[in-house]
Amino acid sequence: MSRQGTRLDAKKVNSELFTLTYGALVSQLMKDYDNADDVNKQLERMGYNIGIRLIEDYLARTGTGRCYDFRDTAEKIQAGFRLYLGISPVITNWSSAGDEFSLQFETNPLTEFVELPDNCLGLKYMNVLTGVLRGACEMVQMDVTSWFVQDQLKGDNVTELRVKFIKRLEDAIPAGED
Amino acid sequence: MVIYGVYIVSKSGGLIFNHDHNVPKIENEHTFSYPLDIKLVYENKKVVVSFGQREGIMVGHVLTAANGMPVTGKQLDDGRDVLEVIENSESYPLTLKFSRPRMTTNEKIFLASMFYPLFAIASQLSPEPKSSGIEVLEADTFKLHCFQTLTGVKFMVVAEPSQTGVDLLLKKIYELYADFALKNPFYSLEMPVRCELFDSNLQTLLEQIEKTGISNV
Amino acid sequence: MTIHNLYIFDKFGCLLYYAEWNRLKSSGITREEEAKLMYGMLFSLKSFVSKISPLDTKKGFVCYKTNKYALHYLETPTGLKFVLNTDVNAQNVRDLLHQIYSKVYVEYVVKNPVVNLRDPIKSELFKVKLDGMIKQFPAVSKAS
Repeated sequence: MSRQGTRLDAKKVNSELFTLTYGALVSQLMKDYDNADDVNKQLERMGYNIGIRLIEDYLARTGTGRCYDFRDTAEKIQAGFRLYLGISPVITNWSSAGDEFSLQFETNPLTEFVELPDNCLGLKYMNVLTGVLRGACEMVQMDVTSWFVQDQLKGDNVTELRVKFIKRLEDAIPAGED
Repeated sequence: MVIYGVYIVSKSGGLIFNHDHNVPKIENEHTFSYPLDIKLVYENKKVVVSFGQREGIMVGHVLTAANGMPVTGKQLDDGRDVLEVIENSESYPLTLKFSRPRMTTNEKIFLASMFYPLFAIASQLSPEPKSSGIEVLEADTFKLHCFQTLTGVKFMVVAEPSQTGVDLLLKKIYELYADFALKNPFYSLEMPVRCELFDSNLQTLLEQIEKTGISNV
Repeated sequence: MTIHNLYIFDKFGCLLYYAEWNRLKSSGITREEEAKLMYGMLFSLKSFVSKISPLDTKKGFVCYKTNKYALHYLETPTGLKFVLNTDVNAQNVRDLLHQIYSKVYVEYVVKNPVVNLRDPIKSELFKVKLDGMIKQFPAVSKAS
């Protein structure tokens, strides 16, 4: 859905510029806050603000309907990664109640050049993703939370993001109609 | 060719007749292991699926039986609370039956009275002068056709979206109403239509239409 | 074919945008009250449809027609509601609504980082693009 009349082709923006931009952002946050936990929190909040907008673009592009099953949600999240980052994380480790699953990333364009220094061990470099998922799902009446359980940047074999369904949010009703 | 139901609403907005013609029964039974991977909520005195759907069990369906024992509200016939049974891992494997809720007569009366103001607001919000109320209401699963007589009685038919010629059917039902309800000296206006002749003639009309199409009536 | 007017509501029922092209009758109440009335009607229609439907609905309420106009309705999973009134013979209005969502709303509102998504839409660019799309809509040009 490229914008009519724009001179930029969405497909031709250099991905390394994007990677560098994100890297500069995280490292600047590290300098400004000097505390990994605070940075993680800021990244999550930025992600949230991205998520609540990105979901509209996703829905407009894919024309997809509402999900009524968390497995459905998992597949749509996976499709979102393909659409926006060009990667296909593996959906795995379903909990038996069907309300939790993991996304495993073998590669990630955003972490390609990253080596975490020793003073950044508490940093969750990709924590922006947890915010994006929370924001996007909240906009479609779903309360979810997510966290990293494995991280390639910290020596694990894969990066694993765990996603948990908390509850369905109620549809808003017009004032004075309850 | 499927007609789902017929409703008649009096001038003052009361439901005076309704007939379920061909409403499909949607029911699914499935055996689950612990923990249950469908989210249930208890609302309006029913246990309802709120999220997670599979094997035909959809969001909005109501729990009607557990291990073959009927559930009323959240109570099993032997007095146990079904939500407690579902939470207890020792109850598994557990067979649960869900169905799409059918409308009760009270709900139908409520819906009929709800349609009345909608009909009027649609006319008020019209961008064109002198608009009527809603004549056709379309959803992905059905079309509701409404015909209002000059005397203010509304005839409504709920049919498949692809069903054509329902306007003609509505006029036919109006004729039946005039013949078998209004001409019956013991029928009083605004009261529910309880006339056997009307019922049987309507039934015949609907069956004939489903078999041969509306144009042949 | 004639397009009369368009309402866009957010999921909380606030009127985000209103535009009219060929409106011959006003409802006789203020825009604000009219929006409330419209939203209330849509809300009731939705609940009416989901209850009276013989089968499980997906999209639910799609449109209604009176003898003078047709109201077409599109709700996104995020709860945005697009309402377009046309004449009764208009075709493919649902496609047009989806285009308004994906090619105008998402592009010129959502992707504008300084816009708060809960505020009414004031963007001139949005208005111009929307007008363009409505006037471009094939059947409109045929009629006019």
